[in-house]
Amino acid sequence: MCKPFVVFPVVLPVMQIFSAAFVLFAAVSVAHAAPVASEHIEVELVSENSALVPGQTAHLGLRLKHEPGWHTYWTNPGDSGLPTKLSWTLPRGFSAGEIAWPAPTRFKVDDLYNFGYTGEVVLPVALAVPANATTGSNVALAVEAKWLVCHEVCVPGKAQLKLDVPVATKALADPRYGLAFAQARLSTPLATLPARARIAGEHVTVTLATPGLSFVPDDALAAQKQIVASTPPRITRQGETLIVDFAKSEYFTGEPAGFDLVLTSRAANEPVWQGRAVFSNKNAVNSPAPR
Amino acid sequence: MSLRRFAFVAAAALCPISAFAAVAIGTAAPDFSLTDSKGKTETLSQYKGKTVVLEWNNPGCPFVQKHYSSGNIPKQQADATKDGVVWLTINSGAAGKQGHLDGAGAQAFIAQYHAAPSAYLFDADGKVGRLYGARTTPHMYVIDAGGTLRYMGGIDSIASTDKEDLAKATQYVPQALAELKAGKPVSVATSEPYGCSVKYGS
Repeated sequence: MCKPFVVFPVVLPVMQIFSAAFVLFAAVSVAHAAPVASEHIEVELVSENSALVPGQTAHLGLRLKHEPGWHTYWTNPGDSGLPTKLSWTLPRGFSAGEIAWPAPTRFKVDDLYNFGYTGEVVLPVALAVPANATTGSNVALAVEAKWLVCHEVCVPGKAQLKLDVPVATKALADPRYGLAFAQARLSTPLATLPARARIAGEHVTVTLATPGLSFVPDDALAAQKQIVASTPPRITRQGETLIVDFAKSEYFTGEPAGFDLVLTSRAANEPVWQGRAVFSNKNAVNSPAPR
Repeated sequence: MSLRRFAFVAAAALCPISAFAAVAIGTAAPDFSLTDSKGKTETLSQYKGKTVVLEWNNPGCPFVQKHYSSGNIPKQQADATKDGVVWLTINSGAAGKQGHLDGAGAQAFIAQYHAAPSAYLFDADGKVGRLYGARTTPHMYVIDAGGTLRYMGGIDSIASTDKEDLAKATQYVPQALAELKAGKPVSVATSEPYGCSVKYGS
């Protein structure tokens, strides 16, 4: 049990004893954190792999487990709601990217449309691990997560989440979260299609070049607000061109350079696509945008 | 996730245009009559000649609570009414829905937050809310002395439930009121409102 501890000089601070003990077990331990139960939702900071590899990009995730009937929001929450926000506290040399938002579900509540998630979902975030991270050490990752969870009524929540992950030369997938990360990846857009947007009256029409596109998406959602309305667009296909006709947002205040749209299909095995729509009377592009 | 995505797609063909474009900046604000928390009938047209603020309210909504418990909306109400502005707080929550109040409940809410609206009005059937296209709580409208709509949108510029954001946010209603008073154009006449959905009945 605690026998190894007696070999340490008594002057060693308690924290150091604990971290030394952690190193002893690092070889067999996995990333460890506990889910935080909040009102109508359980949240947890998780790591796709059981270790971080120096110089490589690791994938962390905010795992959200919603109570049945409750949802949280996408980067564009739609007509009401708020996107989930993360703010990281990381050791020197580590840096976290933005949330790689999985494609959301469209909800209709009375006359409002919202975009978000139900059930269990992981919001992935890339973590750059510095090349000089010490193998065998443990890295303390911390994030403050803020969300709004709604059914018909809404409850704001926040939690300080922590995760200790060992640094190792090799990383294995953590079987507890492999499926959740795989699902998140499946519903994250694979490729960005070049697109042009045009404003005509109360419509914003996006034209996407879709060579080889095997399906007509059922829905298209704008990742930015105040450009198109949250109502479902009319989607039609003309040869290898996809035309997405949105109603213009009533809060449209000026023409931006462009916006991102996510194209989804109800078919379970279809990939998610996204387009970067550039307004054609500004910086028009005809050629495919680089990935 | 894909399985959940199919819902409501069928609505696409039926309603491609936003359901909320109910009133427009620079046009006459539609008249209405509602009963207030003291049982008195309040009519918008009775305030012709005065600037009027409309505030959509639901005391159970965390966004509304942010702006009341911080004192932000009560202060805006006090400042505006001291300046001769009429501030009408409107609750379009249907019976049985979150935030629906009766007269005593509204009076208690006003007392709890030291709020200072000119009147607290009930719109439980949602007619006035839908007439104005109120979609969130809060959702704000400013009508000038001539009855023309001059501002509609959010309470401020930072969508959150955090009181810490108030100091950094632009408060659109006091800004519009000050500009109107100075005879200037309203610099931000429309913004996207944020908050809870208005709990309309069906």
